[in-house]
This record gives sequence, C-alpha cells and structure tokens, in this order.
Amino acid sequence: MPFRDGYLSEFVGRSAVLDAAGGGNSVGKIVDFTVGKPDDAFPRIDGIVVKTMYGERSVPVSDVVDVDANGSIVLRHAPTLPAQPDESTLYLVKDLFDKQIVDVDGRKVVRINDLEIANTGGTLRVVAADIGVAGLLRRLGVNRFAPQLLERVPRMLIAWDNVAPLTDTSPSQVQLSVSGARLSRLHPSELADIISELSTQDATRVVKQLDDETAADAFEHLDADVQQSIIEDLGADRAADIIEEMDSDDAADLLGELDEDKRAELLSKIEDRDYADELEDLVEYEPDTAGGLMTTDYVWIFPHRTTAATIAKIRDLGPETEFIYYLYVTDDARKLLGVISLRTLLLALPTAFIHKLMDTDVVSVSPDTSAEDVASTIARYDLLAVPVLDAEGRVLGIVTVDDAIDAIIPEKIANSLPRFVRHHAKKPAVAN
Amino acid sequence: MTRRLLFLLSILGPGFITASAGNDVGGIFTYSVAGAQFGYKAIWPLIPIAVALIVVQEMAARMGAVTGKGLAALIREEFGVRIALLTMLGLFFMNTFTTSAEFAGIASASEIYHISRYISVPLSLLLVFFAVLRVSGKLIERIFVVLSLVYVTYIVSGALAHPDWHQVIHDSFTPSIDTHDPAYVGMLVALIGTTISPYMQFYLQSAIVEKGSRATDLLALRIDVTNGSVLAIIVAAFMIIANAATIFIFNAAHPKHQIVVNQASDVAIALAPLAGKFAEDLFAFGILNAGLFTAAVLPLSTAYLVCEAFGFEAAIDRRFREAPVFFTLFAAGLIIGASLVLVPGAPLLQLSIASQVVQGLLLPLELVLMLIIINRARVMGTFRNTKFANAICWATIIIVGVIALYYTFTQVAGIL
Repeated sequence: MPFRDGYLSEFVGRSAVLDAAGGGNSVGKIVDFTVGKPDDAFPRIDGIVVKTMYGERSVPVSDVVDVDANGSIVLRHAPTLPAQPDESTLYLVKDLFDKQIVDVDGRKVVRINDLEIANTGGTLRVVAADIGVAGLLRRLGVNRFAPQLLERVPRMLIAWDNVAPLTDTSPSQVQLSVSGARLSRLHPSELADIISELSTQDATRVVKQLDDETAADAFEHLDADVQQSIIEDLGADRAADIIEEMDSDDAADLLGELDEDKRAELLSKIEDRDYADELEDLVEYEPDTAGGLMTTDYVWIFPHRTTAATIAKIRDLGPETEFIYYLYVTDDARKLLGVISLRTLLLALPTAFIHKLMDTDVVSVSPDTSAEDVASTIARYDLLAVPVLDAEGRVLGIVTVDDAIDAIIPEKIANSLPRFVRHHAKKPAVAN
Repeated sequence: MTRRLLFLLSILGPGFITASAGNDVGGIFTYSVAGAQFGYKAIWPLIPIAVALIVVQEMAARMGAVTGKGLAALIREEFGVRIALLTMLGLFFMNTFTTSAEFAGIASASEIYHISRYISVPLSLLLVFFAVLRVSGKLIERIFVVLSLVYVTYIVSGALAHPDWHQVIHDSFTPSIDTHDPAYVGMLVALIGTTISPYMQFYLQSAIVEKGSRATDLLALRIDVTNGSVLAIIVAAFMIIANAATIFIFNAAHPKHQIVVNQASDVAIALAPLAGKFAEDLFAFGILNAGLFTAAVLPLSTAYLVCEAFGFEAAIDRRFREAPVFFTLFAAGLIIGASLVLVPGAPLLQLSIASQVVQGLLLPLELVLMLIIINRARVMGTFRNTKFANAICWATIIIVGVIALYYTFTQVAGIL
C-alpha cells in the first residue's frame, strides 16, 4: 500500500487521478476517509470519498496504486460506487474533524484539529488525534508554503486508544461503544469534571455510554444543576437505574433538588422498594444537617453472636456495603447498643461474643445536628463515621468522615464563578 | 421588597444583559450624535432595527438552546478551521478596539470632573482585572445586572430635557430618508452597527448555553430576548430624544454658536446648561458605567470564544501555564485597549474607522453563517428557521451588507 505515515489533512482537497493505464486523468477531489469498524483501538481506514463531477463516490483504499509527491492519489479504476452512508461507517473528516473529544489521559475536553495516520504493515490506520497548534496550521495549509515553520511548533498528539469521541447530534452518526469503556478508566471525580465541561446534550450522551455504576460514581461528584439537566434528558428509567447505584445520601440530595412529580416518578421506577422508601425518608431532611448527610448504607449486627459469625456476615454484606469499618450493634428494634471496629473484631478470638467486645459509650448525633457540629464531633473523637440516632435511640443512618468534610469545606471556587466562565472552571480549590 | 427585587432579577435574563451591553460607550456616542445632528428624525430607523435585532437574537438564543453549543463552537464544527479563524480574527480585532473605545469613554467622563485619564484609565484597568480574576462570580453577575439597570438613567435624562412629545411621536413613526446627505447615511450605518453588533450574538448564545437552557425553554427565551431588545431600543430612543430636545434645538436656534459633539462626554457637558447639572451627572455616570461594564465583559468573552473555537483550555481560575492562550488573549485585549487611549498621538480616528469597517464586514458574514447553520437539519432538527424568519433575516443581511459595504467603500475611498 502506497501511503506513508502522515496526517489526514495533507490529503483532503487533493486530486484523485487514474493511473497511466487509465489515461492519468483527474477524476475528482478527495473529500473524506471512511472507517468501517470505529470501535477498534486504532481503526483501519477502508475507503476514500472522492467528489467527482457525478457526485460523491467511494473508493476502497486497496484501489490506490500510488500517492504522488503533491499528495494526489493514483487510482486503479475510476470510482463508480456511490458513497452510501452506512449505519456503522465513520466519516473521519465529516464526523471527527473540528469536533470535541475527551482526552482520557489528559482528562480534558479538546478539539480535533487533524488526525495522524500510519501505514502499519500494509493497513492504513488512525493512530492519533492532533489537538495542537501544529494541526491548526496544517489545516490552514501552512505546511505547503512554510513547512519549516510547522516543524518548529511543538506537536500535541493523543494516541487514538486514549481518545473517547463524543457522538454527535447527527442521526446517522455511529455509536462508539469504545468511548464508554475508555471513560470508565477515569476517576469518578475527573469524569464528573469532564461531564461538567460538555454541553447538556453531549454530557447526556457520555452518561448514556457508561454503565450504571460508573455513571452513579460520576454523578456523586456533579453539581446539582448539571445532575438535574442530565436527569431530565436521560429519561426516567435510566435515571432511576443510576440513582439506585448512588450512595443514599447523594441520591437523596439529587432527588431533593427535583420537583415533586419528577421525584415521585423516579422513586416509583427504583426496583428495590425498600431502598426507594429509605430515599423518600432521606429527602425530607435538610441537606446541611446530619439527616441530610447520612447514608443508610452501614452494617448492623446483633450482640449475642460470636466474632466468627459476625465476620462471616460482613463477608456476605461487604461487597454491597461501602462502609464496614465500624459495625453498629443493635437490638431487634434497631436501637443502638454499642459499636465495634473492624480492627477489634479481627483481633478478637473467633469464639468471643460481640456484647463482650463492643464499646457501649457511643458518640452519636441527631438528624437535625448541623453539618459543622457533625464534622467537629467526628474530628474531636477521631472517628471514621458517626451514627445518627432518633429520639428513641434507634439508628437512622451514619455520616462518614468524607461526607462530613465535603459539607464543611468552602464551596468550590468553581461554583462561585460567573456562569459564563464557570463552564470551564471546575478544578476544586485547594483547601488550606 | 426583596421578593420583588428577586422577581425583577429573575426576569432579567441573558437577553436583557446582552441588549444592555449593546448600549456601550460607542452606542451612547452614536445615539447622542444622531439626536444632536438630526433631531427626532433619527428615531424612526430604530423601529426596523428593533425588528431585525429581535429576529437575529432569537436565532442565536434558539441555536444555543437546541444545540447546547456556543456560536464559535458551531462555526468551527460546521465550517472548519479557516472560516473559524477569519471570524475569530475579526472578532478579536473589533472587540479589542471596542474595549479601547470603552476606556476612551471612561477617560473622557473622568475628565469632566478634572481627573486625568492617566489616573482614571490605569485605575479602571486594575479594577477590571481585579474584578474578573478575584471577585466571586455570583457577585459579579449581580453587579452586572444592577449595572444594566443604570441604563434607565438615560430615560430620566431624556425626560429631564423636556422634549416636545407630539413632535417625538410624529417623527418616530414617519420614515424619511435623506439620501442626498452623506452624513445621514453614515448615521444609519452607525445606528445599525452599534445596535446589532456581531459580538452580541456570540455573547447571547454563550450565556444561554451556560444557563443550561434547552429547546423546551424556547418560549421563555423568546420573551427574554424580545424584552431585552425592546428595552435596549427604548433606552437608545431616549438618548436620541435627550440630545434632540437640547443640542439639536439649540443648534437650530443659534446658527452661529454650534455645539459640536466629538466624544461621548461632550454630550454630558452640553446637557448641563440645557437640561440641568443633574442630567450632566447622570449622563457622565452612565458613560463610566457602560465603559467599565463592557471593558470587563468584552476581553474576557473574546478570549473565551477564541479558545472555544480552537479547543484551548479556557478557565479563569487556572494558573497561567495551564491556560496560556486564554490568559494571553484576555490580557492582550484589555491592555491593548487601555493603552491605545493613553498613547499620545495614537491614530485613534483611523483605528476607529478600521474597526467599523471590520464590524461592517463581520456582521453580514456572521449572519450568513448563522443562517446556514440554523437551516441545517443535522444541527437544528425540527427547530430550523421558518421561511418567514429566513426572509426577514436575509432582508437584514442584504440591507446591512449593502449599507456596510457602501460605508466601507466610502471610508476606504476617503483614506486613499
């Protein structure tokens, strides 16, 4: 195959000519390149779209016999196949040039200026997205009259397997299944930063490509207004699936921001009915109180069990439950009797009974305790979590140290910027 | 009281702020000169201009709501690097010069009160830098909204000038074009250029995207855009009225003692003996306010738009080396704008003409690009333009284009 390594823009707009046997005549101009399997790590370029006097025609890459010095391609046959839009075909120029993509490595949203292509043992592949000034200059044609200048500009390329394209509004556009998998590699808070940078439509599209669990993790880090607009666009079924995977305190915060009809609709679609009821209760609490911060995702155990039986139970519950470092000992009515740490449990003899080991002098808060007081309680007693008890001493939930910190550190600088610039200002402030 | 204020602030959406930003120092000067030179006859063109303004701004709002993308991003995605570069170069040049005009307004307003421009301009520059880089954004947004309300002062100034209301209403609805008077054609150009500035469409669409508005909010957006445009036009009309009732009438009565208006602050000074010291102070305060408001918004959003089109990092709370292009553009726009006012012997007049020429060429280009995008089903889906909106928009483009090209031609011919 005659192609050398290079950039796609070097070919766009150049002529397609027939080989000497065909008379060497120009048949048209190169306008686009097509990829049949866009989900590959480095997708293979299969076809070239040539604009002829009869309209756009498709040429297989295998028909190219030569690429001459000024970038024209020499074809074996005159192109006859009409360029037909196929469901799975990705048009590199039309669908990717100038569009936004997520740079998974650099964790930001960038624009594609050009695509780097390489001849990898006989197949032409897309290897990288050019997002730098060099790509812009090449698109402007600078490489033709001042190639030395272009060589001085530092290149900014992202390897294609680190790129997550955002599918566009176009109905004919392919769905790239690869994006979701690549985006899942990001830390949830980074993913949330990226989602906040996108337009609502693009953000919704990204969320749709994620699995429920990844989407839920990212949602926990999103601002309320971004969450809301995505929920609106996502449709109630999917939104409910994601909410079901979120921590109960974050889910309740989100639901609390919605109007009553929407909230009722989402709650009715949550499959785990008990969890839906719990969320409904949690929504009632003010967000900056212990009730608003608490999660119902904790482990409670009975006093007259052995440590061995209890550890077996934790092993059972562990995968479903995030916080297992403190175990709350309760009676049948969930009244708090004591607390035991995972450390104590592990170090004790397997036959020891919980009620002998547990600490009965438990520090607790009530649901209307303010966020500041919850945080200072946790700080004063060096706790990882504090239980929230009702007037009868029953456990309603726990507030973990990370949620308490989130509630009291100053709002992100990003949240206080003008809307106009806020969009791109999502780096959290460093708390001093 | 608070509740009423909140309600007021809530209806003052992006459309209102954008339209107010159109009444910047250049706008004040243009409307004032139009009133001072041509009296109440300068009012009627505002009515067709208002129609065009509403149509164009509605298009920008609809594109923002439907696509969730800014105009700069759409131009880049739909037309590629070259057209985007052309548009952005024009925008940067024009906006930097407009920023300079804002600082010129600040300088002349401060000089009414005997404060040297070498004090007021650097102080304003520092104030704008500080406000944009350091002050909490929510506060800035509120200050912007309150500052926009200051434009009501022109209505008061207009009323203080005791115009002949019968004459005002008669002339407002009686179109008359004096094609033999080149100054009158020049005034029409300036009126259109300052009222439908290319920059406003970019700003409005970005603001709508930032607000997270969607196609379902279109009705509210249309109301906001219409209100903002109508209010901006009313404010403009009152500026014309204030000057027509005072300077125009005075000049007509005293052919030997003509009051000549060379810069925005001259209007304020001229108003003092004719409409009272209070009218002068109001006008001077209005100029200062418009200057600071626009000098803060223009360089910031220009830098943002260019970065949006070319995919550079753009965020005000990043360090310089994280978003170098953004900060360089922002600082360059602001500092070049302020310096031009302070350099003795800077060719301000030539630059002003060059800026208007760029604006005159950029506006039809921008409108054509908007019109192409907004008629693409791939981008707009079912929210494409109706034939009616297309007709009005094409008429605007042709009229604006012809007048702008005519003006460009005469200016270039004048220089050569």
